[in-house]
Amino acid sequence: MSGHRVDAKVVMLGKESVGKTSLVERFVHHRFLVGPYQNTIGAAFVARQVQVGDKVVTLGIWDTAGSERYEAMSRIYYRGAKAAIVCYDLTDSSSFLRVKFWVKELQNCEEHCKIYLCGTKNDLVENDRSMRQVDYHDVQDFADEIKAQLFETSSKTGSNVDELFQKVAEDFNNTAFQIITGEKGVDLGQKKNDYFYSCCHH
Amino acid sequence: MGTKTLRPTIPCFLFGCADLCDRARVPFTTRASKKSLRSMKGLCLTLEPATVMEADVHKMSVPLENGSLAPVDRLRSERSDSPTPGLVEGTEPGAGQDSAMFVHAQSFEDLTAEGEQGQEQEEVQEEEEGESERAPEFGELGDSEETQEPEGKEEQEQEERENEKEEEDQSGSGRAKEEDVNSEAWRRHRKHVFVLSEAGKPIYSRYGTEEALSSTMGVMMALVSFVEAEKNIIRSIHADGYKVVFLRKSPLVLVGVSRCRQSERELTRELLYIYYQIISLLTLTQLNHIFQHKQNYDLRRLLAGSEHLTDNLLRLLDRDPGLLLSAVTCLPLASSSRDVISSSLQAAKAKSLVFSILLAGSRLVTLVRKKDQFLHHMDLHLLFNLVGSSSSFREGEGWTPICLPKFNMAGFFHAHISYLEPASELCLILVSTDREDFFNLSDCKRRFLERLRRRSSYQALQEAVQAPSYPVSQVGIPELRHFVYKSKSSGLYTSPEIPVPYKCEEEEERLMDLYQYLHSRMHHPTRPLRSIYHCAEKENLLAYVTSGFELYLCFSPLGTKALAVSAVNKLLKWIRKEEDRLFILNPQTY
Repeated sequence: MSGHRVDAKVVMLGKESVGKTSLVERFVHHRFLVGPYQNTIGAAFVARQVQVGDKVVTLGIWDTAGSERYEAMSRIYYRGAKAAIVCYDLTDSSSFLRVKFWVKELQNCEEHCKIYLCGTKNDLVENDRSMRQVDYHDVQDFADEIKAQLFETSSKTGSNVDELFQKVAEDFNNTAFQIITGEKGVDLGQKKNDYFYSCCHH
Repeated sequence: MGTKTLRPTIPCFLFGCADLCDRARVPFTTRASKKSLRSMKGLCLTLEPATVMEADVHKMSVPLENGSLAPVDRLRSERSDSPTPGLVEGTEPGAGQDSAMFVHAQSFEDLTAEGEQGQEQEEVQEEEEGESERAPEFGELGDSEETQEPEGKEEQEQEERENEKEEEDQSGSGRAKEEDVNSEAWRRHRKHVFVLSEAGKPIYSRYGTEEALSSTMGVMMALVSFVEAEKNIIRSIHADGYKVVFLRKSPLVLVGVSRCRQSERELTRELLYIYYQIISLLTLTQLNHIFQHKQNYDLRRLLAGSEHLTDNLLRLLDRDPGLLLSAVTCLPLASSSRDVISSSLQAAKAKSLVFSILLAGSRLVTLVRKKDQFLHHMDLHLLFNLVGSSSSFREGEGWTPICLPKFNMAGFFHAHISYLEPASELCLILVSTDREDFFNLSDCKRRFLERLRRRSSYQALQEAVQAPSYPVSQVGIPELRHFVYKSKSSGLYTSPEIPVPYKCEEEEERLMDLYQYLHSRMHHPTRPLRSIYHCAEKENLLAYVTSGFELYLCFSPLGTKALAVSAVNKLLKWIRKEEDRLFILNPQTY
């Protein structure tokens, strides 16, 4: 699944109702929709351009449904992703358990995918400290361990949302550059194996 | 089993249980309340031996009626404008020109004897059809019936409805999930639907939380398995004005409890819709797999977030004539514009594409299909429901697995769902067989849109979407308030906008109730009717079915029977004149 009009595939993962769609909505449309919760069906795709230095990177964002029903399908959404934003709800400790599941899944299946942890609904926590159920430092330790980056965002106020996606685009830009320069040294046999592996696997 | 807590919820279950126990001399429930059981009269159980096969299996090759939408490949005679056009299927106004757009895609399940309960229903209706062909002249009514409604009943119903309304208002939100299941309000809902697993685990309840209902559902399952132990199947329980209908679709059991006038068969059909709704999210293969592995699996885990789809489907079943008539309505649009849209859609094809469907709200603009592949109206309604009950597809381009159960219960299609423009009502659904094909389909959409934008038809389309549907006054029949006309061979129906007296939700639902009532009378399994004239409290209705069409008319109380009868021909002529606009006459394939 790769489109010609997209540079980097980014996938949103995480338990249902943590706010993946709201995060994308804030980033793409700069708005926060108030209303009854609507779960995503399957996945929604949006493309958005981000300015990185003097270059424009087009992020193709896959906003996946959190429901367990689509779990078996999720691979088609994150396959070949350059970045995964794994979300959890700062006010719901159970949502962080799902983060661990997704991280493991990504590490097993998509080793080249960069992982970004994103704690959502920060505005609730800022209003009322006692709402916080997921400790910042615990997550930071976990993030260090898996070499991921951590953001705490609020789609309602917009805080840290653009920063998150900006970082994703920048990292992509840097690594894309690295891959291009590194490509020459790669042994072809190695590449074939890689291809074979992914072919078999999916 | 907690007898005490259960009795107030659905008394007839217990009575039914105990009654059976008495007969079978099996201790089943506590006998304490036996006396009161005896006093309960008017309870009747419909049981049907499991072993009895339907006699007419060999008739299945004949195109099936109602809901079947079979293609009519026979040569059509000249489209007639005679006083009674369209008495034969395929020549009625609205019939497609080449072949039907949908078909009763007979899946394997449909062809096996025990597969579909609807099957036998359709056969009964088929007999009906034969009968009406023998007596095509409207007026010589062999099976016609005239009814005068006892006013008291209607009033009482009205009152109940109002009560319910009030209670709903009190409870606040539309999804009254937190409702107390022991409350009077909960019991007074007009139609309850429960879905449970064969282990008796709750999966879905229309009102109230599943947790609170687990013991009730346990009783339901006990009833089902109790009757099955004797090699029988429980179909329904009738008691105290309630109908309790059971639909056994292993590994699920669906139960409907209703106090409205719909027939048992209609209720079963609605339950079947709910069953298909669940299948469309999971596929039967996955469902079976799950329960084979773990009998007491809590299916709500997998269905999480889909409750509102089921809720909305139930609302549609109460309100949408399309689901009642097994038909789809089209956006009224000049045929020249529609043809341009169809051919643009046809041009934007991809290898894996099976169906391209353009919707305007819940109305069909056009449908292009792969050659030899037909979409069943039930599957289309499920797609309508999916799109209509979720704002999720407004966020971006949706890409979701979906099973079309009438096409194939075993596997997923992958649907690309997107709106043509952010705030537009026009939604494009591209159904593909390849889950990797998202960007291809995305490109199809882009090509379609580009092509369309260059043509004036796009403007016409947008105007048609904005414009209200047509008012009934266009037909020019005095006292006619509303009608629903279905062309059987094309599986499409047309209906004017809801007129003023029925504008509010309650009244609209009441009108639908009346149609539903007439529909179930017309399609009665043992005594089907060709026509019925019905004087209700606030309106007079006429329903008329031939092999070509199905027609329901609603007149003001001033309308007479003679007027109603003459209106049929006039209306048919009008529809014939307008059919280019109201129906899709040139269905396209890739």
